[in-house]
Order: sequence, then structure tokens, then C-alpha cells
Amino acid sequence: MEAVINDYISREIVQDSSLLPLGNETPLLETGILDSLGLLRLVVFVQDRFDIIVDDLDLVPEHFASVDTICAYLRSQIGKGASQAGSRG
Amino acid sequence: MGEAAEGAGSPRRQLLRKAESLAYWLVGAPLVASLPASLAYRVACWRGDWASRSWPEQRSEMIDDLRQVLGDELTLNEAERLTRDLFRFRSCEVIDVMRLRGRARSLARLVEIRGREHLQAALAGGKGAILCTAHYGSHQSVFSLLHASGIPLTTMGRWDWNYDTGVSSIERRFWNLVFARRVLRHRQRPNIEPWPGRVQVAAQAAAALRANEVVTISSDAAPLHAERARAVEMPFLGRQARLMPGVITLAQLTGAPVLMAFAHRSPDYRHQVLEISPPVPLDGQPETAFGRCAAAIEAAIRTSPAQWNFWFEAEVLARLGVLPAPSIGTAALSRQLSCFARVTTGWCRRPWWCPPGWGDQAPHRVRSISSRIPAAAPATWSRRRSRRAVSWGSAPPRCNDQINPRNV
Repeated sequence: MEAVINDYISREIVQDSSLLPLGNETPLLETGILDSLGLLRLVVFVQDRFDIIVDDLDLVPEHFASVDTICAYLRSQIGKGASQAGSRG
Repeated sequence: MGEAAEGAGSPRRQLLRKAESLAYWLVGAPLVASLPASLAYRVACWRGDWASRSWPEQRSEMIDDLRQVLGDELTLNEAERLTRDLFRFRSCEVIDVMRLRGRARSLARLVEIRGREHLQAALAGGKGAILCTAHYGSHQSVFSLLHASGIPLTTMGRWDWNYDTGVSSIERRFWNLVFARRVLRHRQRPNIEPWPGRVQVAAQAAAALRANEVVTISSDAAPLHAERARAVEMPFLGRQARLMPGVITLAQLTGAPVLMAFAHRSPDYRHQVLEISPPVPLDGQPETAFGRCAAAIEAAIRTSPAQWNFWFEAEVLARLGVLPAPSIGTAALSRQLSCFARVTTGWCRRPWWCPPGWGDQAPHRVRSISSRIPAAAPATWSRRRSRRAVSWGSAPPRCNDQINPRNV
């Protein structure tokens, strides 16, 4: 998952090639890599790629601070979705 | 709206202008706005003429800028007439804001909305609609009016009296009292302010669009220093200007159609027409699609140059690339030296006045501004909610990002 997210951000969002290669712990917000439209673009991408819904209330810096935190958040969402599906089944 | 904000001239004249502007916003305009429209706008024009006469430095700078940008199309007499109209329009816009009281009926009688069917057809798609516009005419009041007429609408734009740490709390309250309070009364959500560091703003706009609402974006805003990497260069007013194509990116991400909207004031100064276009084709590269929006904005400006508010802001025109960057004169040099002193001592109250890069080299000891920023947009907005602090993205803009706060 880290590789997918890192690759997408490196390819589609990073404007300044001097910031590449991107580390999984590189701060995305503080360095300005992830701006407002970049975040929206990333949210649309992860929703399509991982088939999850990112709630507006989840758009907080703790979840999008770095590739690592994004993946931790996505795993929690995927886990949540799976447990909900399990309880329904 | 920004006559009192900046300007050369003797300190006495500047003080007089500020006092007059304060009195006009607080007392004069509310009283004048309650008069019959024909008389109210005539008085506003007189006041505009007075402001024009009492601010000769600004007037001559605007004449120069108009002739420099519009070139040989414009004779000196025409440039002088346009400048007079600019001051008149500015005074009339204050009356428009005052006439938003109640259900805004006193302004609604004077504004015709053309192309409403295009907007309704766009909203029927269920993905909201983006009105791409410019700092043109009385856009803030007219968009409030559009909301009052039953179309849920939210604006995106920078009101930097909320952010400029150099603005006193009295001044901030003043602009909130006389301006923001009135226009926000007729909006679906708080104004979305896209300052650098506020990374949730596009998501806020997307949330409004998902709720099948209208979001307005002024695409002629000059890119801030922090946004330059994302600006695109394209032909605009005869130059290669730097513009922000965010409107197209947002449309492509959300699937919302983009329509152009401009509020034109008629020659009698009191009637206006809000013209809404059919959807702009979004096919091709984002730059190509945005080029269509920029061309529509340029066409509106060339049709009626006096309605473009940025003639009051030579600095913004320079940042857009429409005017050459000003050479460093005595005033600018003094400002930069003062800024350097503040940055090196760690005490900078206006970080976005800094020359590019300086603000990144030293920490700015700025006051916390998070409490002034409206909260992330709820589905329905109440004034109490607007006072809630946001939990993130509240960092002030940095470096050379000044937009005159009062020129909205």
C-alpha cells in the first residue's frame, strides 16, 4: 500500500522534482507537497483504488501528514469496512 | 471598497480619506441606500467623483495602468472616463451591499439574472455547479442575491482582514460588521478561503458540490508566492499572465460543470445584469479548458474595463503578469528594509509582505489566527458555528502574498 500511495503522490502531486524520491515519512503538509487540490485528488484516488469512502470529518492533518500516516488511516478504514461487512454477514 | 487602504499623498489627505471611507461605510451608505434607487446611486456617484478628485495619485496611476494594459485602444480621455467610472462603481458597490438587508428585495429589484436556466440545468445533473467569475462588478452582492433567489451558493475567495496580522482587531471587526456580515447572510456556507496551508478548502468546496450547491470561484486572482508552482501561464490581456487553474481541477475531480458568470452594471449605475453562460466545455487538457475561462474573463474586462476591480491594485496586476513588476523605488526599498529588520529580529506582524523566501528563513512570531477562521462548512451554517476554530490549516500565508483586504 505504501508503494502505491508513494508512487501516486510522486507521479501526480509533487510539483518540485527536487523533493523526489519521496520517503514514506516525509511530511507532506509541512513541506507543501500536499495542498488543497492535491489532497482532494489523493482522496479521489484512494477511494477508487481501495474502494473505501473517506469521510469529510476524517480530513484531518494527522491522517495525511505522511505516506505512513495515510496508509495507517487507510488500513483502519479497510478494517472497519471488513468488520462491518462481517457483522452484517 | 479599498479607497482607504493604501495610497500615496500627504498624511493629512490619507487620514481624511480613511475618515471619509469609514463614515461612508458606517453612516453615509446605510442612509443613502434607504433612499429611492435613482437618488441613492446618484449620490454614490457624487461620492465616487469626490473620491477620485481627492486621490489624484491613485487616479493617475490607474490611467497609466489602463493605457499600458489596453494599449492603443484607449485614448487619454477614455482612460480618464474609465477611471472616473471605477471610482463611481466602487461607491455604488457599497450601496449594493447595504441593499442586501432583509431579504435583499431592494437590490433584487435592480438586478436581472440572465441564464438562470443554464444554472438550473447544470444543477439538475446532481453534481452541483461551479460559477467561474472574476473580481468584476459587484460580484459579492450579486452572488448573495442569487442565493437569496433560491439557489444555494457559497463563494471561494480570500478576505485577508481575517488573516493579516497587521490588521487591528478593530479594523477586522469593522470589515466583518459592515461587509462580511451582510453578504454572508445570503450564503449557504461560510466563505471558503483558499490560503496556503489550509489544505481542507478543496474538500469543503467538493462537499458543497456533492450537496448539489453552487460554488463561485474568481479565476483572475493573482497567485500567491506559495502558489506560483501551480500557476499556469497563458495569454491574458495581451500578456502572458499567471493564473490559477484550480476551477478546472475542481470540476474534473467532482464532475461539476463550470459556467461563467459576470455582473454588469448598466450606464445608469443602478441596474445590473448577472449573466450566466452555458457550461464551458471541459474537454482537452486542463490548460486548454482553463484557457476558455480566461478568454471569457478577458472578454468581459475588455467589454467594460471599468468594472474590473483590480485596476485599483497595481501590485496584483504585476503579480498576475499583466503589468511589469514595479522597480524598487524608495517606498518599496524602505518597506523591504523594515521587513528585513523584523524578520531578523523574529518579530514580523505581516509575514506575507516579505520578499519571496524571507518568510521561510526566519520564524514569524505571529499571533494565533485560528480562532478567526470559519469552521469547515457544515450542511447548514449558523453564525455561531462560524466562530468555531478549525483544527488545522490555520497557518498564515507567507511571503509576498498581500492582497488588499478591503478590495473584495
